[in-house]
Amino acid sequence: MSTQIKSSIRFGAIAAASLGLGLLLAACQQNPPEATQQNGYRGVALEQVQSPKILAKLAEANQAPEVVPPGDRTGPRASQVYQNVKVLGDLSETEFTRIMVAMTGWVAPGGVAGSDEGQGCSYCHNLNNMADESKYQYQTARRMIQMTREINSNWTNHVGATGVSCYTCHRGNPIPAQTWFTGGGHPKNLADGGGWIGANNGQNLAGKHVGRASLPADPFTPLIQFAETIRVTGKTALPTAKGENIAVAERTNALMNHMSDSLGVNCTFCHNSRAFSEWKDAPPQRVNAFHGIRMLRELNANYLAPLNTTYPATKLGPEGDAAKAYCATCHQGAQKPLNGAPMLGEYPELGAPRP
Amino acid sequence: MAMLSFERKYRVRGGTLIGGDLFDFWVGPFYVGIFGVMTAFFAFLGTVLIFYGASLQGTFNPWTISIAPPDLKYGLGLAPLAEGGLWQIITICAIGSFVSWALREVEICRKLGMGYHVPVAFGVAIFAYVTLVVIRPVLLGAWGHGFPYGIFSHLDWVSNVGYQYLNFMYNPAHMIAVTFFFTTTLALSLHGALVLSAANPAKGEAVKTPEHENAYFRDFIGYSIGTIGIHRLGLFLALSAGFWSAVCIVISGPFWTQGWPRWWSWWLDLPIWS
Amino acid sequence: MGLLTTIDYQNIFTRVQVRGPDDLGVPIAKGIYERGTKTSHNYWFGKLGDAQIGPVYLGVWGLLSIACGIIAIEIIGLNMWASVNWDPVQFVRQLFWLGLEPPLAKHGLNPFIPLNEGGWFLMTGLFFTLSVLFWWARTYTRARALGMGTHVPWAFAAAIWLMLVLGFIRPVAMGCWCEAVPYGIFPHLDWVQAFSIRYGNLHYNPFHAFSIVFLYGSVLLFAMHAGTILAVTRYGGEREIEQIVDRGTASERAALFWRWTMGFNASMESIHRWAWWFAVLTPITGGIGILLTGTVVDNWYLWAQHYGFAPSYPPVHPPVVDPALLPGAR
Repeated sequence: MSTQIKSSIRFGAIAAASLGLGLLLAACQQNPPEATQQNGYRGVALEQVQSPKILAKLAEANQAPEVVPPGDRTGPRASQVYQNVKVLGDLSETEFTRIMVAMTGWVAPGGVAGSDEGQGCSYCHNLNNMADESKYQYQTARRMIQMTREINSNWTNHVGATGVSCYTCHRGNPIPAQTWFTGGGHPKNLADGGGWIGANNGQNLAGKHVGRASLPADPFTPLIQFAETIRVTGKTALPTAKGENIAVAERTNALMNHMSDSLGVNCTFCHNSRAFSEWKDAPPQRVNAFHGIRMLRELNANYLAPLNTTYPATKLGPEGDAAKAYCATCHQGAQKPLNGAPMLGEYPELGAPRP
Repeated sequence: MAMLSFERKYRVRGGTLIGGDLFDFWVGPFYVGIFGVMTAFFAFLGTVLIFYGASLQGTFNPWTISIAPPDLKYGLGLAPLAEGGLWQIITICAIGSFVSWALREVEICRKLGMGYHVPVAFGVAIFAYVTLVVIRPVLLGAWGHGFPYGIFSHLDWVSNVGYQYLNFMYNPAHMIAVTFFFTTTLALSLHGALVLSAANPAKGEAVKTPEHENAYFRDFIGYSIGTIGIHRLGLFLALSAGFWSAVCIVISGPFWTQGWPRWWSWWLDLPIWS
Repeated sequence: MGLLTTIDYQNIFTRVQVRGPDDLGVPIAKGIYERGTKTSHNYWFGKLGDAQIGPVYLGVWGLLSIACGIIAIEIIGLNMWASVNWDPVQFVRQLFWLGLEPPLAKHGLNPFIPLNEGGWFLMTGLFFTLSVLFWWARTYTRARALGMGTHVPWAFAAAIWLMLVLGFIRPVAMGCWCEAVPYGIFPHLDWVQAFSIRYGNLHYNPFHAFSIVFLYGSVLLFAMHAGTILAVTRYGGEREIEQIVDRGTASERAALFWRWTMGFNASMESIHRWAWWFAVLTPITGGIGILLTGTVVDNWYLWAQHYGFAPSYPPVHPPVVDPALLPGAR
């Protein structure tokens, strides 16, 4: 072989190698270094490795809203001043107005594009008669305020003293951006198998809510709504009773994928993965996550799912169910919703009703 | 006697890389050489330190001894002996003895007039190990990202690293590596079996020839790669398994931090689908 | 310096390809089917090994195996395509995600169940298994036709063992077809992960550990063996059968290389026995590990703790208690 051919082959090989390396790097989200945090005993990779770029984007996307200045807590109660105030009647008039103003900005600053549902106050209210209950948004808002107070007063084992406000989920949207309907986006006829076509059991498509794995697309209906068991790992070394099958384990895996994805953390944030079911070695965050699941079960069962009779049909899911909450509804990719902004501290009106 | 019947004529001086005749001798069946001395030194020191670490840990149960790397807070600096420093020295010993071993193989190749395929192949394995305990930790900024030296503790590391990416099996390089592992094993079984079946034919038959091997594989799958080809293929498959293993771990963390299932978004979201 | 001045030929690929007349193979006894006579050549195959492709022997077992294999793949593929509503674009886009799931749990071991609730899966399993068994018969009959030993079929049988454990023996032992592995790229990976989580971490399954050791060991052995043979091809080392029956300098050097390196060497024949056993033990031990999981052991981590081989680590966090066990838990 001539030297010329040899060198051109060499050049070609180097060019191909660099192209390959370039493509590989282009497919990466991030170049090192990463943000790392140890979360357990050294050496066994109990750690978070996160991309500073992604963390910065998330921090930016999860800014808390500007605080409406607090109002005078004294004076006559809202229930005495206004008509038909059933849930925030324990507030003072200025506090009540403050929450109404804040809610407008949190939930319906611009209304829904291309709809005649109104915006600002008129999204929920009949402006001619503010006490009119006829709009479904009015009825929904009342229920949502009750839910917010329930969270802030009875679910402190999950939300702590930080608390939540309407904005935690809504972020300026009349309907929170991240919710779920039964089916998880899978066409029902395909999930069940149409006629003689094989059922895919609601899985085996890139699952939108489960980190794009081919796991069951909707683990929420069985595990959150119907509170079926999430714990699938064998409880004893040797079999003692009939355990769960693999399809059930995949469902749990799907829910956990959703949790990780919603919080921007990995499995080892809450588990020592060598024994997922063990509490002994688990990081304490797992306790918080446990209460989060219980909280979701209660909120969906008592507040969100029953609203299917309140909403117009166009707002319902393909199976006629109301939009429901899961981890992503509040967290939206951040480990702490709104970067941990103290919503209850700034809006004590959203705490437990005062006597 | 430590020598095979034909061995004496092969035991010649020379072929060393450095040091001339220094240590150019055998101990029992083992060739020594300067790299043999270095291998022995590093291996001995590393083993002693592992036992010291085990005594600090308070167990000599071989399944549970674990020499853990330092906490992440030490970054790329040195850690106290009992808090990961042992791991750091043992890692140096391991790399030192592996590299010495490879160079000693080179010297033996030269003595025997052989090609350098084996030391080069071993070099790929060393590369995979160095990727795990040096390259990736350096990219991530702390020795604490290395794996612990223990039979089951290193599996705990594997488990936790895997679940950091929700399902590590969705890692494309891991998929390629596993495919190479399985394919290598398949090819090894076929090669071993083919040679044995030619050398150990059916009852009453004479030993078969490479022509029979070719005929068998062509009858079977329409292609026989041949006696040299199978060894080239085997070496390629085996080294690819090691190489892609190194790739799959070095991209996990330094270049990708989310779940591996999510990595496939680029494919799902290509503009060509709609 | 020594290294630089003695750069010499390293056998990596074929530099000069010689093409003689085609090798149509050792004659075999006449039967209903005969070996084909068609051959072709591929330059790039010739770079690595033999350039000649074919002739192939089809035969009755080959025909049956291919037919059953096609049926199995068709059922899987059509089910996958159906699961995206016969949309060809989505079929390509989501191909890695698509799958064919095993029967629903409620059907237990019933073999006669609705097609859309697992019937297709069972049918696929039947045809796939038949295809593999017919292929096994092919490996056996072809070896015997040439008067060779039956090492290939028995190695293949080890792989069939693992396949049958995963898709048949274990599901039967568990009393439910639903325990079988789904067909599909990502679906089977999801299954593997869920299986490990369900049974408390497969890493603590000793037979899983054995299987991995033999898998890695096989790769190591092939690298060692292939490297050694290539390194002594200059002495005719690739003519392994001749070297087995009449040891030459290639074998001697290959043996001494390992003897001097690690104090031990195989012979030209025995290295292939090592190879065969390492490769074959990979699926055998793996199959045992799978078969024990769920039938004999329900949580491998707890089992490991019981037998004292799960390491323990100093606590870092304050102790955590399962909140479901606390009073007032909801």
